Amino acid sequence: MRYVKLYLTCIKRSMMSRLEYKKDSIISILSFLISNACSLGSIFFILQAIPSLKGYTPAEVGFFYGFSMLPIALDHLFSDEFWLVAYRRVQLGDMDRHFLRPVPVIFQMFAETFQPDGFGEIIVGVTMITICGLNLQTSVSFGAIFVLIIGAIFGAIIITSFKIALSSLAFIFKKSGPLLQIVYNFTIYAKYPIAIYPQAIRFILIFILPFGLFISLPVDTLLYGSYNPYLLSLIIVGAAIAFFALATLIWTLCARRYESTGS
Amino acid sequence: MSRLRKYKPFARASAIDVMAYRFNIITWAIVTVAEVACLIFLWLAVYQSSEGGIDSSINGFTYKEMIVYVVLTTIFGFVTFNDDTVWFINRDIRQGTIGNFLIKPISYRGKFIASNIGAFLMMSLVFGIPLYAAGLGVLIGIGYLPVASIWDFIAHFLLFLVASVLACLLNGAISYIFGILCFYTTAAWGLNALKTTVIAFLSGTLLPIAFFPNIFREIVSYMPFAGMSQNPILILMMKYDYLECGKVILISFGWWVLLELIGKLLFNHAIKIVTVQGG
Repeated sequence: MRYVKLYLTCIKRSMMSRLEYKKDSIISILSFLISNACSLGSIFFILQAIPSLKGYTPAEVGFFYGFSMLPIALDHLFSDEFWLVAYRRVQLGDMDRHFLRPVPVIFQMFAETFQPDGFGEIIVGVTMITICGLNLQTSVSFGAIFVLIIGAIFGAIIITSFKIALSSLAFIFKKSGPLLQIVYNFTIYAKYPIAIYPQAIRFILIFILPFGLFISLPVDTLLYGSYNPYLLSLIIVGAAIAFFALATLIWTLCARRYESTGS
Repeated sequence: MSRLRKYKPFARASAIDVMAYRFNIITWAIVTVAEVACLIFLWLAVYQSSEGGIDSSINGFTYKEMIVYVVLTTIFGFVTFNDDTVWFINRDIRQGTIGNFLIKPISYRGKFIASNIGAFLMMSLVFGIPLYAAGLGVLIGIGYLPVASIWDFIAHFLLFLVASVLACLLNGAISYIFGILCFYTTAAWGLNALKTTVIAFLSGTLLPIAFFPNIFREIVSYMPFAGMSQNPILILMMKYDYLECGKVILISFGWWVLLELIGKLLFNHAIKIVTVQGG
């Protein structure tokens, strides 16, 4: 309970400092919307030239694209600070004050920033899911909706876990931003059904960088009933817990190696 | 000539600068290879799903041509677009250093052209030559980019170089216009993101303009953006005959002159309202 209160206090402060740059935020949200319109336009133009993409109709591909934005957006909302840890903060020795406070450092990182830009992604994602969902030819079951919600929430936890683990490497190497960037960029593979990829890539997308596990498989379950939704939900939740536990363990081990710059 | 000489230090400085910022080249390489691979898988799936199968031609592109297009566009973007114009203008306004340029006998825009060209030359020498050599070597070697005659290829390559320089200048001019908007708003980050997105989409970097719907395609192919990525690449791929090459290069040149004029007018207006904060 104490932590909830603490979190809200910190977030309020972070939001206040963001409001200083109102025009900046509006233009960045606008550019984000235009950027999404451009990528969607591209995909739509490509799909117009072919009858279906490996059996997926344009509405289904659009549903994939929209749904893939949700876990990414949820992660974006809460854990943006880890980018700074990976790129700058450890290198600058700027983490000292966090280690002196009687609250876990990892919690302070979550409380440091709340990134409202993520709402833009959620709005675009939900809009796309709604529009494309209405054009789907399938009957929607309760189980399918359930596994989609689980996929979005616990998928976000898996993405956050990667961010925690990789950014904590900065405690050892001073800067781990580029590595985090590389791994994070693989989320572009999550925008399309994994059926379009070769076997090896599919394996990676399910077992190693499991974007396919919480995006592609749940959507396939909705569209074609490919998997048992409850079993799949269980696997996703299990994977999320495992990844998160591993990530906090790595963070704890790496954080012991933090040394201040002495400035 | 002596009038141009005073811009040489800017070109030199930005050439050195661009190397300093490229230390994360390995990151760029890995991220890019992963992205290009993703695009290749997507296009493979698209062509496999098309009515004529993998060997069909969609909007004038075969599967092989599309792969060549994706690879060359990626190299082209990396080598040609290295401008921090928006950031620099924003910084000059924020820190008040813009005043220094107003009292010196050099043109503010001229400084940026010199910097753009300097960075472009350095990137071309250090990364352009090996990347294009490797890329073209492999693509021609595996038969994805057929070469009818070596002279034809050389001629197109020279035209491609001309188009590249124009692409660099066009990009610089558009960045400059976006940069001047920083006089009116503080949102440099958003403006830069907006600029990058618009250019990526309308220049055919995301996908060739031939895929756009009818009227939209006609409009976009006469806009300055087409000359910033798609047209140079299609020249290099020898998809254009000499007449078309000449036409697209002329259009780009015309746009460049026009955009410089617009930039100048905007600057003359913006400079009247500039308030230097503590400068």
